[in-house]
Amino acid sequence: MAILRLREVDKKFSGVQALSRVNLEIIPGERHAIIGPNGSGKSTLFNVITGFYKPSGGRIFFKEKDITGWQAHRIARLGLARSFQITQIFPMMTVFENVRNAITSKLSRRFNWTMLLNRSKEIQRKTGEIIHLLQLDEERYVLAAEANYGTQRQLEVAMALAWDPELIMLDEPTAGLDAEDTRAFVHLIREVTEGKTLLIVEHDMEVVFKLADRITVLVYGRVLATGTSTEIQENEEVRKAYLGRE
Amino acid sequence: MTRYRTIQLGWKAVAVLFMLLLPMFLREIDVHFCTEIIIFSLFAISLNLVLRGVGLLSFGHAAFFGIGAYSMALISQHMPGIPLLLLLLIVALAGCLATSVIGFFCVRANPQYFPLLTLAFQMLLYAVALKWRTVTGGDDGMVMMRPDLYLPFLETISLMAINNLYYFTLIIVALAISGCYLLLKTPLGNAFFCIRENPTRASFLGYNVFLTKLTAFTISGFLSGLAGGLYALFQEFVSTATMDVHMSFGVLMMLLIGGVGHFLGPVLGVAFMVFFQNWLSGVTSHWPIFVGIVFIVVVRYLDKGLVGIFDLKPIRFLAGGRET
Repeated sequence: MAILRLREVDKKFSGVQALSRVNLEIIPGERHAIIGPNGSGKSTLFNVITGFYKPSGGRIFFKEKDITGWQAHRIARLGLARSFQITQIFPMMTVFENVRNAITSKLSRRFNWTMLLNRSKEIQRKTGEIIHLLQLDEERYVLAAEANYGTQRQLEVAMALAWDPELIMLDEPTAGLDAEDTRAFVHLIREVTEGKTLLIVEHDMEVVFKLADRITVLVYGRVLATGTSTEIQENEEVRKAYLGRE
Repeated sequence: MTRYRTIQLGWKAVAVLFMLLLPMFLREIDVHFCTEIIIFSLFAISLNLVLRGVGLLSFGHAAFFGIGAYSMALISQHMPGIPLLLLLLIVALAGCLATSVIGFFCVRANPQYFPLLTLAFQMLLYAVALKWRTVTGGDDGMVMMRPDLYLPFLETISLMAINNLYYFTLIIVALAISGCYLLLKTPLGNAFFCIRENPTRASFLGYNVFLTKLTAFTISGFLSGLAGGLYALFQEFVSTATMDVHMSFGVLMMLLIGGVGHFLGPVLGVAFMVFFQNWLSGVTSHWPIFVGIVFIVVVRYLDKGLVGIFDLKPIRFLAGGRET
């Protein structure tokens, strides 16, 4: 039974067909990567799934629930967390507070006005756990805007993970990191997403083949192929359209 | 308790004592100004709740101040016996109701249009207050009587004495401002800051951006309405001036001069502007020019507003250094 299912999803931007008839199934527990050349619609696909854009056609099911056209916050609350390709953090808050925002939301305290936030032991403890898990202990009290880029990328993933979501979607988590940082970060992602369902967009082929159980290739908004990494590497069409040019 | 906390607590005690003893050293006319400052502090803080809280700039906040003032006058006119505290609560709720209705339309809009939409709604309400003469008295305004304050176990307190009114306003406003201060430290207050900092990220963490903004706006309306009600009580008169553009921009200017970034910045701005304007209008009839110059200088050279002077080294030292 798929945790996420896309059926014939279309997305048009004033005449440009960004996605056309995308079918996709994510099986619980798998690490699924989406690859494709620049402008092939990977980020658009993410944005359509998570409710940032409304699809122009087709249906999206998450945990068998039709979430097509839902607002982002409702989808997030179902247990679907994401990170962004371009870092989206709370710049004037510390790393700790950033993660705490996610934990507070996770515990459904968003509208609680009867307690002081820093008095809640539960929130403090859970935030501390995530900070520790993502190895952000040293940067705990650093303002997010002033943290170095690698930390900010880690924070992106930390906020997605803090929700303890049923599906984690990472949009190019290693974007902008150098080779060494990328290697360490991929190792970390592998570790912390153990046993979780992961959907990841990635540019770096090395990362993809190391991380993913299955791969979907997207070209010009169409799904070219889906399969294991060996299947994808051997697929003639994929080689022609994508891998050959690398 | 750390040294920093002890010193901070000391300063707070001094401030409270200062506010309590103030009327004993001042002439009656100066107590008047202080009462006005207290009322406008509440108004400015309510405006800052939406600006610093969720990052929305309201150009039409006088609408809610005016609604507070008019409902104060109207209710006390038509229901003379109503207890004062209940009356103030109703007045604040009227502000609350108005913001939730107007906010429903404004908050949904693109943040760039938000200031103009609030301004438009304010002008609409202003026109109503001006033209609906049978109810509001139009540009003649309405006179209202200050009702007496009945407190259980205490004798009746007449608010006609300015010192009594000063203490009454001080207590109500102090409670409201403290409540507002604590609110910003709860998860809900934190949600406001999340929305200001990054609405996209917040919504993908499950925060409902629209509802959170509307909540902040509504709470702000509650406080504005309360401030308006107190202002009517203070002036014993309500006119369309409580609801016009000058009121909206006047308080916004006080807020910006005082400093948006700090919780008590607005209070400083209000105190400075009320005294400055009052002194200046005695010196020259062209005082608005100088107010404008001060505004430009502060905005250009003191980017944190007047509250920025607390970052100066000698003052930091007095305040007990930095929080550790």
